[in-house]
Amino acid sequence: MSVVTSEATPMVEARGVCKSFAGVEVLKGVDLVVKRGEVTCLIGPSGSGKSTLLRCINHLEKHDAGELRVDGHLVGYEFRDGKLYERNDKQICAERAKIGMVFQRFNLFQHLTVLDNVTIGQVKVRRVANDQAAVRAKELLARVGLAGKEGAYPSQLSGGQQQRVAIARALAMEPKLMLFDEPTSALDPELVGEVLDVMKDLARSGMTMVVVTHEMGFAREVADTVYFLDHGVIEESGDPREVLTAPRSERLKGFLSKVL
Amino acid sequence: MTTNGGDAVQVVPVRHVGRWIGAVVMVVLTAMLFHTLLFTSRFTWSIVFHYFGTSEIIQGVVKTLELTVLAMAIGIVLGVAIAIMRLSPNRLLSAPAWAYTWFFRGTPVYVQLLFWFNIAALFPQLSIGIPFVHAAFLRFNAGNFFTPFNAAFIGLGLNEAAYMSEIARSGLISVDEGQIEAASSLGMRRSQTLRLVVLPQAMRVIIPPTGNEVISMLKTTSLASAISVIETLGAAQNIYAANYEVMPLLITASLWYLVVTTVLSIGQFYLERHFAKGAHRTPPPTPIARLKADVRGIAGKFRTRRGVVAEVAA
Repeated sequence: MSVVTSEATPMVEARGVCKSFAGVEVLKGVDLVVKRGEVTCLIGPSGSGKSTLLRCINHLEKHDAGELRVDGHLVGYEFRDGKLYERNDKQICAERAKIGMVFQRFNLFQHLTVLDNVTIGQVKVRRVANDQAAVRAKELLARVGLAGKEGAYPSQLSGGQQQRVAIARALAMEPKLMLFDEPTSALDPELVGEVLDVMKDLARSGMTMVVVTHEMGFAREVADTVYFLDHGVIEESGDPREVLTAPRSERLKGFLSKVL
Repeated sequence: MTTNGGDAVQVVPVRHVGRWIGAVVMVVLTAMLFHTLLFTSRFTWSIVFHYFGTSEIIQGVVKTLELTVLAMAIGIVLGVAIAIMRLSPNRLLSAPAWAYTWFFRGTPVYVQLLFWFNIAALFPQLSIGIPFVHAAFLRFNAGNFFTPFNAAFIGLGLNEAAYMSEIARSGLISVDEGQIEAASSLGMRRSQTLRLVVLPQAMRVIIPPTGNEVISMLKTTSLASAISVIETLGAAQNIYAANYEVMPLLITASLWYLVVTTVLSIGQFYLERHFAKGAHRTPPPTPIARLKADVRGIAGKFRTRRGVVAEVAA
């Protein structure tokens, strides 16, 4: 069965997604829709399953049940002749290459310079020529405000600078979707702003983004849709101005009173 | 420090009595050592240095180096492969890797050498072909293939692989899980992640003990003399078997091992420095830079000792 994707197809679509770790149910049937060009924020207390949901989207975790589609394609499986065929390593890697991910702990390659961090994916996965990859990397580093840092190693940069390199590294793959897993949680308070500014800029450029965050200000300002997860289920979702200012459920009221 | 109206104040350093006693004891012991080395006639340094540069000994040293290089090459390549197998989620790969290390680490290397040297007694004919059906592409005589030299480097190499696999494994598991996730998120295949991200960072942990293994191997190759390989020790033994100058020739051999070990240690330092890239904000100083800093430090100490003057904060 071929999948016809169009502008109307959501970028991410989850229907009843479940995931357990060693018998503990982390996701208990999650529904979620992320439209193209929109910014979606996932909020909720720690352990609510928001990071797990994000990691399922690029198949860093394998969901156990339910249907999860990215750009119209099932994540990790192919539906043919009435059966679900598990995708092999090569196909999964090809899918992941089109989804950018930014981690809480940056996870920059410590043994590579900033420039090499941003070119390695282009050269080794997308098979871009070295010089072209370097040109693109320098453009992206300039875009995240790090022109001139090409030769530095990650350990020589501040957390905020490292996270901006990580964003450039993900963007170098020319992704159709960007996932952010608590991108500012490991940063000193005064460095949070520089990373959020880069993300706001990216949102304005029309990138489809799914952001797990505790930054309610960012969610209110940038997100098109906010999902509130608690104990593996979506408690509430919708326009951030409504959800964050006039929460309906007691749980979200309780959560917001603690984080705001 | 006390203030004294902004004037310079004398600072009296702490007296380290214990250090002075220790230093005196060491100086006396060192003097005794040199006295023994120089004035014990039976060391016969003239014989030691005469044989140091003879062609027999030099050829032996070359053999030692050949054995070390070949054995370590087998050890490193096989060891890394075994470490990767050991970390595989597939039990049929990890269990044999464990069994290999268990066996080769659990039996003496000397016995293993004797075993390979005498392998022809067990398998007179060796062949490469399709298993179980007696169809061979290549047949050779085990006795001809396992010459003393071949038996020595293969035996040493296979034994070394067991130790290297543990070193490589500790290096591989020292790399943060996040690095692997980041590589996966860029769409790298498992083999690419291993080659481009994990191994280069594991090297920082793998290199120092591997340097240790190389130095250890250099000396372990002397066991090959027991299966009639004429390496450094074998050459020295051949000479003293004829002239009975046992002690001087053992010293000659030892001096050569010391020379090569010293060269290897220097090489290891620069290799470690290379693979520490990105791990430190500032790379560690070279020994020469450190020596210069020490000299400056001692000179500075003597200056303050004489002047004993420090600026006092107002």
